Amino acid sequence: MTIEPAALLRTRYPRAECEVSIALCTFNGAPWIEELLSSIAAQEILPDEVIVQDDCSEDATVLLIEQFAAQAPFEVRLEVNENRLGSTANFATALSRCRGRFIALADQDDVWYPTKLRRLIDELELDPTVTMVFSDADLIGPEGQSLGQQLWDTRLVGRMLRRRAVVPEELFARRALTTGCTMAVRRRAVAASLPFPDVLDNEDAPMRHDRWLSLVAASVGTVRALPEPLLGFRVHPDQETGVLLGSQLTQALGHAASAVFTAPVESSNATHLARADQLEAAAQRANEMGDFEEAHTLTAIASHHRSRVQGAGSVIDRLENISSGVRVGAYGWDRLGLIAVAGDIVRSVRPWRSTEGPKANI
Amino acid sequence: MLRKMKVMMVTDSLQVGGAEQVAVDIANTLDRDTHQVYFCATRCDGLLRSSLKSDVEVMVLERSATWDLLKLLAFGKYVRTEGIDVLHSHGRGTMRFIALCKALGIIKAEHVFHDHFGRLHLDRSAGRGLTIPLHHGVDAYIGVESRLCRWAIETVGLPKEKVSLVRSGVDLERFSSATAIDLRSEFDLGDCALVLLMVANFRPQKDHPTLFRAIAELTKAQQESIRLVVCGSTTADPAYFEGCMAMLERLEIAHLVRTIGVRNDAPSLMAGADAGVFSSKNESGPLVILEYMASELPFVATETGEIAHAVKNAGVGILTEPRDYLALADGLAALLEMSNKERAEMGGRGRTLVIEEFEQHVVVGQVEAIYEQLLSLSSHNLPTEQSARSSG
Repeated sequence: MTIEPAALLRTRYPRAECEVSIALCTFNGAPWIEELLSSIAAQEILPDEVIVQDDCSEDATVLLIEQFAAQAPFEVRLEVNENRLGSTANFATALSRCRGRFIALADQDDVWYPTKLRRLIDELELDPTVTMVFSDADLIGPEGQSLGQQLWDTRLVGRMLRRRAVVPEELFARRALTTGCTMAVRRRAVAASLPFPDVLDNEDAPMRHDRWLSLVAASVGTVRALPEPLLGFRVHPDQETGVLLGSQLTQALGHAASAVFTAPVESSNATHLARADQLEAAAQRANEMGDFEEAHTLTAIASHHRSRVQGAGSVIDRLENISSGVRVGAYGWDRLGLIAVAGDIVRSVRPWRSTEGPKANI
Repeated sequence: MLRKMKVMMVTDSLQVGGAEQVAVDIANTLDRDTHQVYFCATRCDGLLRSSLKSDVEVMVLERSATWDLLKLLAFGKYVRTEGIDVLHSHGRGTMRFIALCKALGIIKAEHVFHDHFGRLHLDRSAGRGLTIPLHHGVDAYIGVESRLCRWAIETVGLPKEKVSLVRSGVDLERFSSATAIDLRSEFDLGDCALVLLMVANFRPQKDHPTLFRAIAELTKAQQESIRLVVCGSTTADPAYFEGCMAMLERLEIAHLVRTIGVRNDAPSLMAGADAGVFSSKNESGPLVILEYMASELPFVATETGEIAHAVKNAGVGILTEPRDYLALADGLAALLEMSNKERAEMGGRGRTLVIEEFEQHVVVGQVEAIYEQLLSLSSHNLPTEQSARSSG
């Protein structure tokens, strides 16, 4: 692992100046932004500041935020980007402007329940080793009507998360478990995550801001999952974080399973290498903070991704790699994990495919 | 002549550690008029053996696993032969060992479990491996912090009357009689203004990196005025220790730090230091804060555990949020800014508070009361001198 010079290990993020910040990123969110801001203003505990980073909206979003800021019971610090950054870089900018000890992330199209901020902050206050807490969410339609489902279940992680008080880093290493709007993060974890490394922005396997943040938070502390839904998560065609419902979900699962077996070698290799780079970047952050055990776990999973790159070693070597991957927790014991193991076994013994086909989603 | 109550402290080992020290302190301070004391280290011997009073019968079992049947039988035979009335276990592995002995009918002595578990923040679960022995093999549960007691009642489901909170205490005698070691000359520290001492084994829980990063945050002038002596096992987790050493190099502060390994003369080291530091992530005690206070050391420590919370507003030390190296750096800077007189006053207040609230006799009184209550409830009805006294 690269050893950074001492200067880089010194503080790169200023001390907290207030208690609670909300980081909100916007882009053409005029249809929903007022409802979100009203729900933030109606929280049982109010934030000290809302940091808004607008990514060059072309509708009335900025105007609506300015109107809200004029009468908001807390400081609203709006900044509009000169050029479009995309959501991950936009969140990195917003987070770097936050001054709070605790930072909650917000998406422009959700509706927060009045208890949301208090519940998340209470959990962070209760135990200083907790670096991040995230909740479940109720799914709502474009008009705010309940869809009768919860976010965790549509991501196939509900059962797993409800059983666990603490979510370890290897789970975030395997897959994205949640979205930013359900999270509140301790400043120390945000500091460790910034600046976001370039390897997140990989076209074969991009890692979004929320997965990166949760991966780092779990590596430099404890992440807790709160099973109660604390917000309405709006499902609509324009959103960036998609949610799959009913038959879509079954179809996507089938597609993911088939991709594991049929994805072309080039695509699968690029994905594994990208993940390895990203996990090593997270391991480096953990190492810098003195979380050597966690850094070691992430490095082991990253090595496993590298070893999954096809063409490396004999069949026996590849089968041994699969076995070591199971041991270091690189796959997991859920449905997707078992499918991935099966896919890797098939790929390790059959001739290579190199034609274009569906992408494996790792 | 009435028979004394026979009590055996049972730990995994006699190596230096918080839970082991508590067991040794209780063994040394139980009232000798009413108690005969035994000590069993079920796995291995260690440096703390020399701290035990000479009248304590010591047994080292050298078991290799929880379910080491031969050792289990040997232990049971010893307990029966000696007629031990109360087994007082420290540590969850030891508790399971004794609970198994009870379940198999090898021993019938009362079992008091003293829980020091320091990772409740990571693991609040109570699987069958814990609930079964706690329900069926433990007669009284002592938690060293209120969180543990709540866990025992709410998560494990133990009846309230079985659960007691007993905060750790400190045996002042160990500190009153300690001869100060001149740390500057002993460890070649030069002429620095302040020698800081951290007593903690190199294990991830103790979070040395946060302390190292805090020191790196100080100005050059502040750094040059301090030296840090770290006393604790460097072999408990070799990978962690190596990581810490590499970090010191990367932070360019290795010349400010001396690691001296595990020692059995911590009171003498404390007597020779100017201030204590402690950067643990999570603790149930931690006992070392009381030891700093008993040594009249001002300290900067992370606020974790029952004792840290209890002394938070007493002006006996500077407490900061765990894992926050910036806050810890501020604490160190504040300590450096204090005059010698102010630091001495802070240390003095610590010593007074220990005498008033954390002296070992206060703790041991609570423990003896639990033994008494247990035996009076059991079919033993042991005629101890104390019960004879209370009946007139």
